[in-house]
Amino acid sequence: MVKTELEFFLHGQGAKPQVISAAADDTLREALVRAGIIKEGQNEILVFVGECQEALADPDELEDGADQHEPVDANLTLEALGIGRHRHVHCHTCRHVATGINFGGKTKRHKFSPATTVGVVAQWARRKFRLDPTAAAEYVLQLCGTTEQPRSDKHLGELVERGTCSLCFDLVKEITPQG
Amino acid sequence: MDKPDQRLFDDLSSAEFRSGAEKGLWGLPSPDLLPEALQWPKRILWIAAAPRPNASERFYIALDAEGYRSVSPTGTFWDPASKSSLDHAKRPKGRPESRFAKVFRTDWNGGTAFYHPYDRVAAKGHDAWPREQPHLIWTSNHTIVDYLEEFHSLLTCGDYLGV
Repeated sequence: MVKTELEFFLHGQGAKPQVISAAADDTLREALVRAGIIKEGQNEILVFVGECQEALADPDELEDGADQHEPVDANLTLEALGIGRHRHVHCHTCRHVATGINFGGKTKRHKFSPATTVGVVAQWARRKFRLDPTAAAEYVLQLCGTTEQPRSDKHLGELVERGTCSLCFDLVKEITPQG
Repeated sequence: MDKPDQRLFDDLSSAEFRSGAEKGLWGLPSPDLLPEALQWPKRILWIAAAPRPNASERFYIALDAEGYRSVSPTGTFWDPASKSSLDHAKRPKGRPESRFAKVFRTDWNGGTAFYHPYDRVAAKGHDAWPREQPHLIWTSNHTIVDYLEEFHSLLTCGDYLGV
Protein backbone atom coordinates (compact mmCIF):
# COMPACT_ATOMS: atom_id res chain seq x y z
CA MET A 1 0.00 0.00 0.00
CA VAL A 2 1.28 3.48 -0.87
CA LYS A 3 1.80 5.68 2.15
CA THR A 4 0.46 9.22 2.02
CA GLU A 5 3.28 11.69 2.59
CA LEU A 6 2.59 15.01 4.25
CA GLU A 7 4.75 18.08 4.41
CA PHE A 8 4.48 20.65 7.15
CA PHE A 9 6.27 23.74 8.37
CA LEU A 10 8.06 23.26 11.67
CA HIS A 11 8.74 26.29 13.87
CA GLY A 12 10.69 26.51 17.09
CA GLN A 13 12.54 28.71 19.53
CA GLY A 14 15.32 30.84 18.03
CA ALA A 15 15.39 28.96 14.73
CA LYS A 16 14.22 29.42 11.19
CA PRO A 17 11.27 27.25 10.21
CA GLN A 18 11.93 24.13 8.21
CA VAL A 19 9.95 21.83 5.94
CA ILE A 20 9.37 18.34 7.34
CA SER A 21 8.05 15.35 5.40
CA ALA A 22 6.44 12.37 7.08
CA ALA A 23 3.86 9.71 6.46
CA ALA A 24 0.29 10.58 7.39
CA ASP A 25 0.14 7.60 9.75
CA ASP A 26 3.40 8.50 11.54
CA THR A 27 2.97 10.01 14.96
CA LEU A 28 4.01 13.62 15.24
CA ARG A 29 6.54 12.51 17.86
CA GLU A 30 8.16 10.10 15.37
CA ALA A 31 8.43 12.87 12.79
CA LEU A 32 9.92 15.30 15.31
CA VAL A 33 12.43 12.73 16.61
CA ARG A 34 13.55 11.94 13.04
CA ALA A 35 13.98 15.66 12.38
CA GLY A 36 16.14 15.94 15.50
CA ILE A 37 13.76 18.42 17.12
CA ILE A 38 13.05 16.28 20.16
CA LYS A 39 14.77 13.25 21.64
CA GLU A 40 13.14 9.90 22.19
CA GLY A 41 11.18 10.00 25.44
CA GLN A 42 11.42 13.79 25.77
CA ASN A 43 8.16 15.19 27.09
CA GLU A 44 8.91 18.67 28.34
CA ILE A 45 8.48 20.37 25.00
CA LEU A 46 5.03 21.65 24.06
CA VAL A 47 3.77 21.05 20.55
CA PHE A 48 1.21 23.36 18.96
CA VAL A 49 -0.56 22.64 15.69
CA GLY A 50 -1.68 25.47 13.41
CA GLU A 51 -1.10 29.22 13.57
CA CYS A 52 -3.11 30.88 16.33
CA GLN A 53 -5.36 33.87 15.55
CA GLU A 54 -7.56 33.69 18.65
CA ALA A 55 -6.62 37.15 19.91
CA LEU A 56 -8.24 38.76 16.87
CA ALA A 57 -11.61 37.59 18.18
CA ASP A 58 -11.06 39.20 21.61
CA PRO A 59 -13.73 41.68 22.65
CA ASP A 60 -12.30 45.23 22.48
CA GLU A 61 -12.77 45.77 26.20
CA LEU A 62 -10.85 42.63 27.25
CA GLU A 63 -7.57 43.42 29.03
CA ASP A 64 -4.74 40.97 29.74
CA GLY A 65 -6.35 38.11 27.83
CA ALA A 66 -4.81 34.73 27.10
CA ASP A 67 -5.06 32.40 24.09
CA GLN A 68 -6.64 29.02 24.71
CA HIS A 69 -4.62 27.33 21.89
CA GLU A 70 -3.77 24.02 23.54
CA PRO A 71 -0.65 21.94 23.00
CA VAL A 72 -1.44 18.63 21.31
CA ASP A 73 -0.60 15.04 22.18
CA ALA A 74 2.40 14.37 19.94
CA ASN A 75 1.72 10.64 20.16
CA LEU A 76 -1.19 11.08 17.76
CA THR A 77 -0.68 10.62 14.03
CA LEU A 78 -0.26 13.51 11.61
CA GLU A 79 -3.57 12.54 10.08
CA ALA A 80 -5.41 12.56 13.41
CA LEU A 81 -3.93 15.97 14.22
CA GLY A 82 -5.05 17.42 10.90
CA ILE A 83 -1.50 18.44 9.95
CA GLY A 84 -2.40 18.30 6.26
CA ARG A 85 -4.93 21.05 6.89
CA HIS A 86 -3.15 23.13 9.53
CA ARG A 87 0.32 22.89 7.90
CA HIS A 88 2.22 24.56 10.76
CA VAL A 89 3.67 22.86 13.85
CA HIS A 90 5.38 24.83 16.60
CA CYS A 91 7.56 23.24 19.31
CA HIS A 92 8.23 25.40 22.34
CA THR A 93 9.00 25.30 26.04
CA CYS A 94 6.57 28.14 26.81
CA ARG A 95 2.83 27.60 27.11
CA HIS A 96 2.28 31.27 26.34
CA VAL A 97 4.39 34.24 25.32
CA ALA A 98 3.47 37.09 27.67
CA THR A 99 3.58 40.08 25.35
CA GLY A 100 3.44 43.78 26.15
CA ILE A 101 2.97 46.37 23.40
CA ASN A 102 3.69 50.05 24.06
CA PHE A 103 2.11 52.94 22.22
CA GLY A 104 1.32 56.52 23.19
CA GLY A 105 2.44 56.00 26.78
CA LYS A 106 0.14 53.01 27.29
CA THR A 107 0.76 49.27 27.30
CA LYS A 108 -1.58 46.51 26.17
CA ARG A 109 -0.86 42.96 27.28
CA HIS A 110 -1.89 39.54 26.10
CA LYS A 111 -0.62 36.00 26.60
CA PHE A 112 -0.29 34.75 23.04
CA SER A 113 0.26 31.21 21.84
CA PRO A 114 3.91 30.79 20.71
CA ALA A 115 2.40 29.88 17.32
CA THR A 116 0.99 33.38 16.80
CA THR A 117 2.51 35.40 13.98
CA VAL A 118 3.87 38.91 14.42
CA GLY A 119 1.31 39.97 11.81
CA VAL A 120 -1.56 38.80 14.01
CA VAL A 121 -0.09 40.55 17.05
CA ALA A 122 0.30 43.78 15.06
CA GLN A 123 -3.30 43.55 13.87
CA TRP A 124 -4.45 42.93 17.45
CA ALA A 125 -2.42 45.87 18.76
CA ARG A 126 -3.68 48.31 16.11
CA ARG A 127 -7.24 47.45 17.08
CA LYS A 128 -6.57 47.61 20.83
CA PHE A 129 -5.02 51.07 20.45
CA ARG A 130 -7.93 52.11 18.20
CA LEU A 131 -5.77 53.26 15.30
CA ASP A 132 -7.56 54.60 12.23
CA PRO A 133 -7.86 51.51 9.97
CA THR A 134 -6.73 53.43 6.85
CA ALA A 135 -3.46 54.48 8.50
CA ALA A 136 -3.05 51.51 10.80
CA ALA A 137 -0.88 49.42 8.49
CA GLU A 138 1.85 52.05 8.69
CA TYR A 139 2.27 51.10 12.35
CA VAL A 140 4.49 48.08 12.89
CA LEU A 141 5.97 46.19 15.81
CA GLN A 142 9.53 46.88 16.87
CA LEU A 143 11.27 44.86 19.57
CA CYS A 144 11.77 47.11 22.62
CA GLY A 145 15.22 48.63 22.91
CA THR A 146 16.19 47.68 19.35
CA THR A 147 15.58 48.84 15.80
CA GLU A 148 14.48 45.33 14.81
CA GLN A 149 11.04 45.02 13.23
CA PRO A 150 10.40 41.28 12.84
CA ARG A 151 8.69 40.09 9.67
CA SER A 152 4.95 39.58 9.96
CA ASP A 153 5.19 35.84 9.20
CA LYS A 154 7.51 35.14 12.17
CA HIS A 155 6.01 33.25 15.08
CA LEU A 156 6.37 34.83 18.52
CA GLY A 157 7.97 31.60 19.71
CA GLU A 158 10.80 32.07 17.19
CA LEU A 159 11.62 35.46 18.73
CA VAL A 160 11.61 34.51 22.41
CA GLU A 161 15.04 34.22 24.01
CA ARG A 162 15.85 30.96 25.74
CA GLY A 163 14.92 30.97 29.40
CA THR A 164 12.17 33.52 28.98
CA CYS A 165 8.54 33.39 27.91
CA SER A 166 7.93 37.04 27.22
CA LEU A 167 8.36 39.72 24.57
CA CYS A 168 8.12 43.49 24.53
CA PHE A 169 7.25 45.54 21.45
CA ASP A 170 6.80 49.20 20.64
CA LEU A 171 4.19 50.03 18.03
CA VAL A 172 6.02 52.47 15.74
CA LYS A 173 5.20 54.33 12.54
CA GLU A 174 7.05 53.26 9.42
CA ILE A 175 9.31 55.96 8.03
CA THR A 176 8.63 57.28 4.55
CA PRO A 177 11.83 57.28 2.49
CA GLN A 178 13.03 60.78 1.66
CA GLY A 179 15.90 62.37 -0.15
CA MET B 1 27.32 25.33 -12.97
CA ASP B 2 25.38 27.80 -10.82
CA LYS B 3 27.20 30.85 -9.54
CA PRO B 4 27.40 31.35 -5.73
CA ASP B 5 24.77 34.11 -5.77
CA GLN B 6 22.49 31.93 -7.89
CA ARG B 7 22.84 29.04 -5.44
CA LEU B 8 21.86 31.34 -2.59
CA PHE B 9 18.73 32.27 -4.49
CA ASP B 10 17.74 28.72 -3.64
CA ASP B 11 16.01 30.50 -0.72
CA LEU B 12 12.99 30.01 -2.96
CA SER B 13 12.84 26.47 -1.62
CA SER B 14 12.98 27.62 2.03
CA ALA B 15 10.11 26.96 4.42
CA GLU B 16 9.54 30.71 4.70
CA PHE B 17 9.16 31.23 0.95
CA ARG B 18 6.99 28.14 0.57
CA SER B 19 4.78 29.02 3.51
CA GLY B 20 4.10 32.48 2.04
CA ALA B 21 3.48 30.95 -1.39
CA GLU B 22 0.97 28.53 0.12
CA LYS B 23 -0.86 31.45 1.71
CA GLY B 24 -1.00 33.13 -1.70
CA LEU B 25 1.23 36.04 -0.66
CA TRP B 26 3.81 35.58 -3.43
CA GLY B 27 5.02 33.02 -5.90
CA LEU B 28 6.73 32.09 -9.11
CA PRO B 29 5.00 32.70 -12.45
CA SER B 30 4.01 29.76 -14.59
CA PRO B 31 6.68 29.04 -17.24
CA ASP B 32 4.48 30.27 -20.12
CA LEU B 33 4.51 33.76 -18.64
CA LEU B 34 8.29 33.95 -18.51
CA PRO B 35 10.40 35.44 -21.29
CA GLU B 36 12.42 32.94 -23.28
CA ALA B 37 15.94 32.30 -22.09
CA LEU B 38 15.64 34.12 -18.80
CA GLN B 39 19.23 34.15 -17.58
CA TRP B 40 20.63 34.63 -14.10
CA PRO B 41 20.76 37.20 -12.46
CA LYS B 42 17.29 38.03 -13.81
CA ARG B 43 14.39 36.49 -11.93
CA ILE B 44 10.64 37.09 -12.07
CA LEU B 45 8.21 36.61 -9.18
CA TRP B 46 4.76 37.85 -8.25
CA ILE B 47 3.40 39.51 -5.15
CA ALA B 48 -0.29 39.50 -4.15
CA ALA B 49 -2.04 42.84 -3.72
CA ALA B 50 -5.19 43.83 -1.87
CA PRO B 51 -8.29 43.78 -4.08
CA ARG B 52 -9.02 47.15 -5.65
CA PRO B 53 -11.48 48.03 -8.46
CA ASN B 54 -10.03 47.37 -11.93
CA ALA B 55 -6.68 46.28 -10.51
CA SER B 56 -4.96 42.96 -10.68
CA GLU B 57 -4.69 40.98 -7.46
CA ARG B 58 -1.06 40.23 -8.16
CA PHE B 59 1.82 42.24 -9.52
CA TYR B 60 4.83 40.72 -11.22
CA ILE B 61 8.31 42.00 -10.47
CA ALA B 62 11.47 41.53 -12.53
CA LEU B 63 14.56 41.43 -10.35
CA ASP B 64 18.26 41.57 -10.98
CA ALA B 65 19.66 39.51 -8.12
CA GLU B 66 23.35 39.75 -8.93
CA GLY B 67 25.44 39.45 -5.78
CA TYR B 68 22.54 38.00 -3.74
CA ARG B 69 22.61 37.85 -0.68
CA SER B 70 25.58 40.15 -0.08
CA VAL B 71 23.56 42.88 -1.73
CA SER B 72 19.84 43.20 -2.21
CA PRO B 73 18.04 42.74 -5.53
CA THR B 74 16.97 45.66 -7.68
CA GLY B 75 14.00 45.76 -9.98
CA THR B 76 10.51 46.95 -10.70
CA PHE B 77 7.06 45.90 -11.87
CA TRP B 78 6.90 43.69 -14.92
CA ASP B 79 4.18 42.94 -17.44
CA PRO B 80 3.81 39.25 -18.35
CA ALA B 81 1.70 40.20 -21.40
CA SER B 82 4.30 42.41 -23.06
CA LYS B 83 7.18 40.63 -21.29
CA SER B 84 8.70 43.97 -20.44
CA SER B 85 8.66 46.56 -17.69
CA LEU B 86 5.08 47.44 -16.65
CA ASP B 87 3.79 50.72 -18.09
CA HIS B 88 3.70 53.42 -15.45
CA ALA B 89 -0.03 53.85 -16.05
CA LYS B 90 -0.65 50.22 -15.04
CA ARG B 91 1.41 50.38 -11.85
CA PRO B 92 -0.12 50.42 -8.36
CA LYS B 93 -0.86 53.92 -7.06
CA GLY B 94 -0.99 55.14 -3.49
CA ARG B 95 -2.48 57.94 -1.48
CA PRO B 96 -0.53 61.11 -2.32
CA GLU B 97 2.46 61.73 -0.01
CA SER B 98 2.07 58.28 1.58
CA ARG B 99 4.94 55.85 2.12
CA PHE B 100 3.34 53.65 -0.54
CA ALA B 101 3.41 56.46 -3.12
CA LYS B 102 7.05 57.21 -2.32
CA VAL B 103 8.25 53.63 -2.57
CA PHE B 104 6.51 52.96 -5.90
CA ARG B 105 7.14 56.39 -7.40
CA THR B 106 7.85 56.47 -11.12
CA ASP B 107 9.45 59.93 -11.22
CA TRP B 108 12.74 58.66 -9.83
CA ASN B 109 15.29 56.69 -11.85
CA GLY B 110 12.73 56.22 -14.61
CA GLY B 111 10.71 53.86 -12.42
CA THR B 112 13.30 51.11 -12.94
CA ALA B 113 13.78 50.45 -9.21
CA PHE B 114 11.75 50.74 -6.01
CA TYR B 115 12.49 53.77 -3.86
CA HIS B 116 13.23 51.63 -0.84
CA PRO B 117 16.32 50.57 1.17
CA TYR B 118 15.80 46.97 0.03
CA ASP B 119 16.52 48.01 -3.57
CA ARG B 120 20.27 48.09 -4.07
CA VAL B 121 20.15 50.90 -6.66
CA ALA B 122 18.02 53.10 -4.41
CA ALA B 123 20.06 52.24 -1.33
CA LYS B 124 23.32 53.17 -3.04
CA GLY B 125 22.23 56.73 -3.68
CA HIS B 126 20.81 57.49 -0.24
CA ASP B 127 23.48 57.71 2.44
CA ALA B 128 21.01 58.92 5.10
CA TRP B 129 18.73 55.88 4.87
CA PRO B 130 20.82 53.60 7.13
CA ARG B 131 20.51 56.19 9.88
CA GLU B 132 16.84 56.97 9.24
CA GLN B 133 15.64 53.40 8.59
CA PRO B 134 18.15 51.10 10.32
CA HIS B 135 15.67 48.21 10.43
CA LEU B 136 15.58 48.10 6.62
CA ILE B 137 19.30 47.87 5.97
CA TRP B 138 19.98 44.80 3.87
CA THR B 139 22.55 42.34 5.24
CA SER B 140 23.68 38.93 4.04
CA ASN B 141 21.25 37.44 6.58
CA HIS B 142 18.33 38.88 4.66
CA THR B 143 16.61 36.74 2.05
CA ILE B 144 14.22 37.17 -0.82
CA VAL B 145 11.43 36.47 1.71
CA ASP B 146 12.28 39.69 3.58
CA TYR B 147 12.08 41.54 0.27
CA LEU B 148 8.77 39.95 -0.75
CA GLU B 149 7.17 40.39 2.67
CA GLU B 150 8.07 44.07 2.76
CA PHE B 151 6.53 44.85 -0.62
CA HIS B 152 3.55 42.57 0.02
CA SER B 153 2.83 44.59 3.18
CA LEU B 154 2.78 47.74 1.09
CA LEU B 155 0.58 46.25 -1.62
CA THR B 156 -2.00 45.25 0.97
CA CYS B 157 -1.99 48.44 3.06
CA GLY B 158 -4.75 51.05 3.25
CA ASP B 159 -2.71 53.57 1.25
CA TYR B 160 -2.84 51.37 -1.86
CA LEU B 161 -5.59 52.83 -4.03
CA GLY B 162 -5.43 50.71 -7.21
CA VAL B 163 -3.87 51.32 -10.62
